[in-house]
Amino acid sequence: MIFTDTTDTDILIVRPGVERLTAVNAKAFKDEVITLITEGASQLVIDFKDVSFLDSSGLGALTGLLKKIGHRGDLVVCGLNDDVQQMFKICRMDRVFKSYSDSAAAVQAMNEAS
Amino acid sequence: MPNQIEAIDPMVLTLKSHVDGALSGEALFRFDICLSEALANLVLHAETTDKSAPITVKIRHEAESLSTEIFDPKGAVAFDIRDKARALDEIDALAENGRGLGLILECADQVDYGPAPEGNRLKLTFKARG
Repeated sequence: MIFTDTTDTDILIVRPGVERLTAVNAKAFKDEVITLITEGASQLVIDFKDVSFLDSSGLGALTGLLKKIGHRGDLVVCGLNDDVQQMFKICRMDRVFKSYSDSAAAVQAMNEAS
Repeated sequence: MPNQIEAIDPMVLTLKSHVDGALSGEALFRFDICLSEALANLVLHAETTDKSAPITVKIRHEAESLSTEIFDPKGAVAFDIRDKARALDEIDALAENGRGLGLILECADQVDYGPAPEGNRLKLTFKARG
């Protein structure tokens, strides 16, 4: 389901691989990313450029991933379209996740922070 | 629609295409959220005695609004989301569950629930917000 790419600074870019991240696929998405975290990934960018919609289950999966990483690393999001961005705001998730325009901006910010 | 999680997204997309024109922009987005959350809540949590019983959704175009009527599947225990929803401000920022019902109340312009001839019905009304 997910697509991944790793930068030369070990930042993992994850694309959910679905147009709608909802109750039907949020658990599978979370489980796949948790496997990568368990295997050692700790700097993650979730790239939503191909996601047009997410519901509360999709948001729940993201908070689950953030908790899984904990203080061992960081998780940021990028590529949010207007609707996904609005969903983050309605659920107050814009206060929880750092968001960037695209994966290049997210990777640059994470590199500068480390 | 079948009472199955895989049926939710296709149903919501079909309904969205049906109301496109009557609702647009942010109202269509709120419609998407509410229908996705309401149907997921029914499929995942409705305590029905017959899982094969379908979920019926009706769209009603009115003068200045559009409403959807979602009928509980046959045998489901009555569940009024207005009594159960938690305000989004009160939910732990890192909670993985519990936002769906609050989203419906925040995004629909009016929420009603109660008995109808076809069974218990959740009625969600949407207006274009200027």
